[in-house]
Amino acid sequence: MSVLNNETTTVDTSAPELLLDQHVKYIQALDTKKNDLEYWLTEHLRVNGLYWGATALHILGHPGALDQEQIIEYLIKCQHDNGGFGGHIDHDPHILSTLSAVQVLITYDRLDAIQVDKVVDYISSLQNEDGSFSGDSWGETDTRFIFCAINCLSLLKRLDDKRLDLQKTIDYVVRCRNFDGGFGSSPGGESHAAQVYVCLGTLTILNALHYVDADQLGWWLSERQLKNGGLNGRPEKLEDVCYSWWVLSSLSMLQRTHWIDAPKLIRFILESQDTETGGIADRPGNMPDVFHTVFGIAGLSLLGYPGLVAVDPVYCMPRHVIQRIGLVDK
Amino acid sequence: MESRHGRKKEQAESPEVLKAREEKEAVLVREYLALKDTLKALVESNKRDNDALKVTTALLRKSPDYYTIWNVRRTILKEGFLDNADDETANKIYTGELEFVQENLKLNPKSYWMWNHRRWCLESMSQPRWDRELAMVGRFLEMDARNFHGWDYRRYIIRQLDLKDNDAKDKVLDRAQSEFEFTTTKIHQNFSNYSAWHNRSTLLGKLAEDMSTKERENIVDNEFDLVKNAIYTDPEDQSAWLYELWLIGREERSISILGANVISFHPLEIVVAFDEPVKMRNPFTVSTRVEHVAIPLEGEWKATGSNSELGSVWIFQQAPGAVYGPTVEIIIFSDDVCAVRAGSKLLTAVCYELETLNQNLEDISGRLGRLMIGKNLMYDVTKRIGPISGPDDTLETQVAHRKHLVTSLTESDSLDDRVALLDREISAVRDLIELEPDCKWPIQILSTLLSELRKTVSIHSTKAKDIDDECIELQEKLITIDPLRQDRYEDRRAQLVFDRETLSIIQDSKRFPEIEYTANQPRNLDLSMRGLTYIPVSSYLLHLHTLNLDSNSITSTRFLRNLLNVRRVNLSNNLIERLEGLQHAPSLEFLTLENNMIAKWEDVVAGFVFWREGKLGRTGGHIKVLLGNNPVVVNEGGEYVLEKRWEDVGEVGIEIQWQSEEARLAEEALLASEGEGGAGTIVVEGTRRVSATAVEFDAGTSQ
Repeated sequence: MSVLNNETTTVDTSAPELLLDQHVKYIQALDTKKNDLEYWLTEHLRVNGLYWGATALHILGHPGALDQEQIIEYLIKCQHDNGGFGGHIDHDPHILSTLSAVQVLITYDRLDAIQVDKVVDYISSLQNEDGSFSGDSWGETDTRFIFCAINCLSLLKRLDDKRLDLQKTIDYVVRCRNFDGGFGSSPGGESHAAQVYVCLGTLTILNALHYVDADQLGWWLSERQLKNGGLNGRPEKLEDVCYSWWVLSSLSMLQRTHWIDAPKLIRFILESQDTETGGIADRPGNMPDVFHTVFGIAGLSLLGYPGLVAVDPVYCMPRHVIQRIGLVDK
Repeated sequence: MESRHGRKKEQAESPEVLKAREEKEAVLVREYLALKDTLKALVESNKRDNDALKVTTALLRKSPDYYTIWNVRRTILKEGFLDNADDETANKIYTGELEFVQENLKLNPKSYWMWNHRRWCLESMSQPRWDRELAMVGRFLEMDARNFHGWDYRRYIIRQLDLKDNDAKDKVLDRAQSEFEFTTTKIHQNFSNYSAWHNRSTLLGKLAEDMSTKERENIVDNEFDLVKNAIYTDPEDQSAWLYELWLIGREERSISILGANVISFHPLEIVVAFDEPVKMRNPFTVSTRVEHVAIPLEGEWKATGSNSELGSVWIFQQAPGAVYGPTVEIIIFSDDVCAVRAGSKLLTAVCYELETLNQNLEDISGRLGRLMIGKNLMYDVTKRIGPISGPDDTLETQVAHRKHLVTSLTESDSLDDRVALLDREISAVRDLIELEPDCKWPIQILSTLLSELRKTVSIHSTKAKDIDDECIELQEKLITIDPLRQDRYEDRRAQLVFDRETLSIIQDSKRFPEIEYTANQPRNLDLSMRGLTYIPVSSYLLHLHTLNLDSNSITSTRFLRNLLNVRRVNLSNNLIERLEGLQHAPSLEFLTLENNMIAKWEDVVAGFVFWREGKLGRTGGHIKVLLGNNPVVVNEGGEYVLEKRWEDVGEVGIEIQWQSEEARLAEEALLASEGEGGAGTIVVEGTRRVSATAVEFDAGTSQ
């Protein structure tokens, strides 16, 4: 079996083109929409949004399209005394925004701008007795937060921190596995492609992928593709561009990317582009947003779409960045 | 993030409408920012009163995912109201919060933070009304029967209630039963409700724990009936099929150790081959007798391949200076390995006694199986070499008393019950296929059922052969009716074809259903033109001298790493883009890769990046690779080529040399006249010095 990862795929010439320049402009313009209420209502996602935007731009081959200095200064202001980052200045620290901040800093190679030890303190303080991680000090638990924690510590090369019990984390994730081979948000939770991604990502980073039945889960994941080429997140649900990432990267970790039809998925993603404003929507005809833009573009990269920078299937960051910090071989 | 899904793009509007909208928007923005400023001022002045609470209410109505405000709200409630409140007052406050959340949840049923706030209230209350919560979430699931927040929350409520009834098992079981019935209702409303099928599977597992065998059998029969109702209603709906797959269950596959032998004496190297990849949990025990005293032999186990912790072929290398006697014994306990494939397990401990007196390695092929000692000798071995460290129970818990799976919820002493169940389900699915010949799900399930049935018979039986043939046909049918997933069916087909074609290499072991190498291993294997996409179990090919894989659809050469004896491999006319695994094929002399897709020199070099911790088997050597008609050669106007020498001294590197078509043919002829062992005289047209990462090109430099 082959891994399609970052190989050049045959391109369906009748499919729409990738609107590369328009996507760059769309992302650059995101921070100028201060007249829209939406801009203010999504403030809590600002740090996540930076990660989505910066990552998309890097994959599009425009790493310099945003003002790097401004971003670093802004991120520094989002870090709290306890080490965690908030979703925006004055927003409470949370593991979701902490991971995003670290991802952006590493992408720009500016980890020196923050206090890494404190980030590690913050994350290790969130591990629970059963091995899982909470999202913040209020205690909500979800396999998403486990991946945020493990991903972040791995990026910071601090998985060896003595305060952590990683075997318990692995055991907890394995308890979230279901009868269909997929994973849910907690033990007993229904399999969901995004939860599969975070659980597989955790197990991959912790070198414990042997707990997964690749054939069974690969089967379930490949059945996410619908006739129009798009992928859904659960059986008998609608397709959505963000699952291009969750499903595809999971298949990639299982070395089974070829189990779905790549040209059809590429076409579905390209048809979800907004030809007027740039950006990608959840499905054709809907409003674009930066979240679906990055996962659409990352999906295209993983499918080997020409002209894009290779993305890492586990970390969802440019592969050359992950290579630079030594987490994968060059 | 959920709120960003599914928003339709609006049509362009006239400038007037647009302007009016902008003005309206500006007002909304001003109001919102003013609210934020107010709250900021209140929080900074440590206000924990009704005014502050009201501002959070207004903000959260507008921006329910603004999680910091939920945190602020909880802080205000705690410090301003709850800390000094009596039970009744506190209860009132929490109830008010629950109402507030409920009203907002209707608008934003997918907001994590709201469901979270609700949990906080209930967990903080002295007398939470979980029954009301259950009714509330029931209504939510009426509105959206697949909302996973709703289902997660429902399970959470049940867990909380169960915790309270920790000592009253009856209550817990009654509750599970009632939840089970809830899923029945949901499934009857809509057979596509996968969330309900999922929950049913977890509840059934719990309920079955306390059931008698008869009760289990009855309930399983009911489940099969329910599934049949669903699949006859809509045979394309995957929910019920996935549930059926779970019900049928998978017989635990027994990992087999195919054989073991010495592959090098100085230093001592021993190979152990499994029939599927395993991860090592404890190093296998290696002992030797020196002057009649059994002593452990120091050394290290590694799997061949890029990941030395996982593989189907394992190599032991003695530590420098360790001394071994005329025999070496290896014991592998069932707990020493864990399977990479779920449902596989090493069922018995196995011991091998290997002779080291006659140090002639010339022909180790065919001997891997013969030196094996059966499990009956385990006790003798323990007597001889003294106590062996390892889990205590592994020697006893062998094949005896083995229960056979019938369904995932039932088991039996007799394998016949499993066979009967499978026969029944196979016949039911066949009926459906007759009605719906182009529906993929029944065909996939039939293939799975047949594979389960094959586990119950000897691998060389006619029945096994018939099953393999039918399964191959089923994959071919699936390829035509479900082209989206074509490659998955092709991989499955490749596995079935491979199993069929390599039957002569393996046989049933005395420890059925385990298998082992046959005593006389073939030297050559022709698997050309079989439609193979990959090599599923390369440990089957360990003994071969030549392997012909011409004209298949193989995409990776990684399997080569397990072919310890292979001298010649033909991989022409495949889909290979990158050379990998060569460094672990120490005997390889000649590799034909003509007409493949290798496009970059880096992808040739990749095959020679050495295993960091040292190489296996023979050191040094010559290898010749034919790369004709690959883009990498064609692009440079070269005709044919090859590749010559690799060394592991000093800087890791190889030298690729290339030659003309004419010279190549001349060399071939020479090789043929000298026999396999001949090195030939090479006329070189160009050379490349290649390190692990870089290629330097000196065109036309003749030697």
